[in-house]
Amino acid sequence: MRPTAAAALLAALAVAALLAQQLWSAGAIALVLLCACLRAGRRARPYLWGTLFSAGFVFLLSPLLQSTGWHVLWSGPSVPVLGQLDVTAEELRIAALNALRLAAVGLAFAAYALLLDHDRLIAASTGRRSVLAAALATRLVPTLERDASGLVEALRGRGLAPEGLRGHAALLSPLLAGSLERGMNLAEAMEARGFGRAGRTRLPSPPWRALDVAAVALAAAIVVGALWL
Amino acid sequence: MAVATIEELTFSYPGAAPALDRVSLVIEPGEVVLVLGPSGSGKSTLVRALAGLVPWFHGGRFAGRVEVVGRDTRRARPSELAVAVATVFQDPEDQIVLAQVEAEVAFGLENVGTPPSAILPRVHRALDAVGAGHLAGRRLAELSGGELQRVCLASALALEPQLLLLDEPTSQLDPDGAEAFLERAVASGAAVVVSEQRPAAALRHADRVLFLERGRVVLDAPLDEAVAWLDAHRPAWTTLAPRTTLFHDRSEARAQRLPLPSNNLLQGTAGEVVVRVAGVRFAYESGPDVLGGASLELRRGEVVALTGPNGSGKTTLAKIAAGLLEAQGGTVERAGRAAFLLQDPGRYLVRETALDEVALGAGVERARRALENVGLAWAERTHPRDLSSGERERLALATVLVGEPDLLVLDEPTRGVDPERKAELAALLRAQAAQRATLVVTHDVVFAQEVADREVSLGAEQEALAVVA
Repeated sequence: MRPTAAAALLAALAVAALLAQQLWSAGAIALVLLCACLRAGRRARPYLWGTLFSAGFVFLLSPLLQSTGWHVLWSGPSVPVLGQLDVTAEELRIAALNALRLAAVGLAFAAYALLLDHDRLIAASTGRRSVLAAALATRLVPTLERDASGLVEALRGRGLAPEGLRGHAALLSPLLAGSLERGMNLAEAMEARGFGRAGRTRLPSPPWRALDVAAVALAAAIVVGALWL
Repeated sequence: MAVATIEELTFSYPGAAPALDRVSLVIEPGEVVLVLGPSGSGKSTLVRALAGLVPWFHGGRFAGRVEVVGRDTRRARPSELAVAVATVFQDPEDQIVLAQVEAEVAFGLENVGTPPSAILPRVHRALDAVGAGHLAGRRLAELSGGELQRVCLASALALEPQLLLLDEPTSQLDPDGAEAFLERAVASGAAVVVSEQRPAAALRHADRVLFLERGRVVLDAPLDEAVAWLDAHRPAWTTLAPRTTLFHDRSEARAQRLPLPSNNLLQGTAGEVVVRVAGVRFAYESGPDVLGGASLELRRGEVVALTGPNGSGKTTLAKIAAGLLEAQGGTVERAGRAAFLLQDPGRYLVRETALDEVALGAGVERARRALENVGLAWAERTHPRDLSSGERERLALATVLVGEPDLLVLDEPTRGVDPERKAELAALLRAQAAQRATLVVTHDVVFAQEVADREVSLGAEQEALAVVA
């Protein structure tokens, strides 16, 4: 499938998840996207952990910040600013829906980052600069993961090991500095290779196939269906 | 007509002393010019000036004139010069833009407006020219460092440049890979300017040699004359060290290969055993075996060079010896503390000053001594990222020496380090050799000859060749 068609399909699923009002529909979309991500094997791990963490955070925190519903499941103390802490069945349902929506959007991004051929997406796009920037940003996650492993390994090689949240947090600054340095080097190499010059051409792309057309039609149908339902 | 002309070029990066000082140079079509000089002498700046990146990308004070393919670089941007000038930088990972090999090689061609129907044929021609035709459909993330560097060269050659600029392009390649890389670059027919810290292979291909020091050209001469000058004035750049006759001829050494059984321990003869690795196997995830029964023994007091082609498993074996990786078969016995210096360690420094970096887990006084030992006492308060690449390597070395390990493993410690600093590093390792067992993983034959008591060579088929002093 063409990456443009696949990207349209992923975007449609993310939009449908955001518009979903039922737990089952948001859950089904998240499940489909999870199955797609698992095709990437071990590379999917950081994305899945990130998605799980974010969705879990929303599920745990949002009931405490809302005051909705009347079927109280737990009643806690009253705290400054937030007021009475309690959890109702209605709040749990909303929290689960929001968590599933977030998970679906996160998984759609993960599938985009892991499974799509970004080179062909760039080649097919009219806004080459912005799509190239997005593709390079997408590479940030695996690059940061590799740099973080390198930092930890370098410290282990010195007989040191970052311990706990604080130890790992201390690696953020060198990680960021390393990313900036890498970014500067890449920008220099791109300039030397003619990026930004007027009159660029592009590799001829293969013609659209029936599968690509069907995927785009399905993407449109998903969005319309989500709006209608 | 000359491909490039530099007239009285003086250039300073913002807020710094001149990196180039009244440099004049003419490069003729098809000429191969080798640029040598210590770290910080201005080699990379010269390459960048020829690409127009100095001053366009870096800013700074620029005086004099640089004309490349008839265009003044103060008026033509680097992207405008890209149709005639191609550059390959030191680290392939920092110049890869796209994810697939074919698209990556096509990137420059698209930028300079090559007719669409001509792009793919030129991509394949360039990949074939560097012996990487079989990589065309692969993802760049799956390639080794050597393969990536060949793809970078293909990306440059695809542009069919008149001037090819190579900034330490062979630092990650084994000697055979470096030789092949330079052969392919020279065969392109373009004028080639190559900056190198390992001059042996490049000297075989050069027509002319420049030697830079503190931004000034102290030598600009045809090859024969240049070699005579280097022999007389900068011998570290042309000669093998005196105690290295042992590895003088690698093909001779290969011919002396002993018929070693697969689980043979490559034994040393110095002090007590510090680490013994016997018949270890290792594979990354679901990939093929990287090591299939490799063995190694290191004793206190000896320095061992672990050599072999790219992909032969040297780093993996060294990590297993140091305890950074767990072997999946075989046995590992280790006595005492191990320290391991990664490849490209300058990327993995974590503190704000050189002193804090070395003092991490060791204390300030010991850190000061370690900095002094590697010649960086002056840099105590300097941010590690403000040091040159060679200085970062030495700082990283201080971070592992400060712990006074019983086993010291250095993975490619001479990358980006000039021959004079290499000689200092070798002298330091020799001076401290009695305190520990030292394993140096390296492609740098000259350095191995200078520093090691014996060599253990891993072949592509995991065979081992031991050359014992």
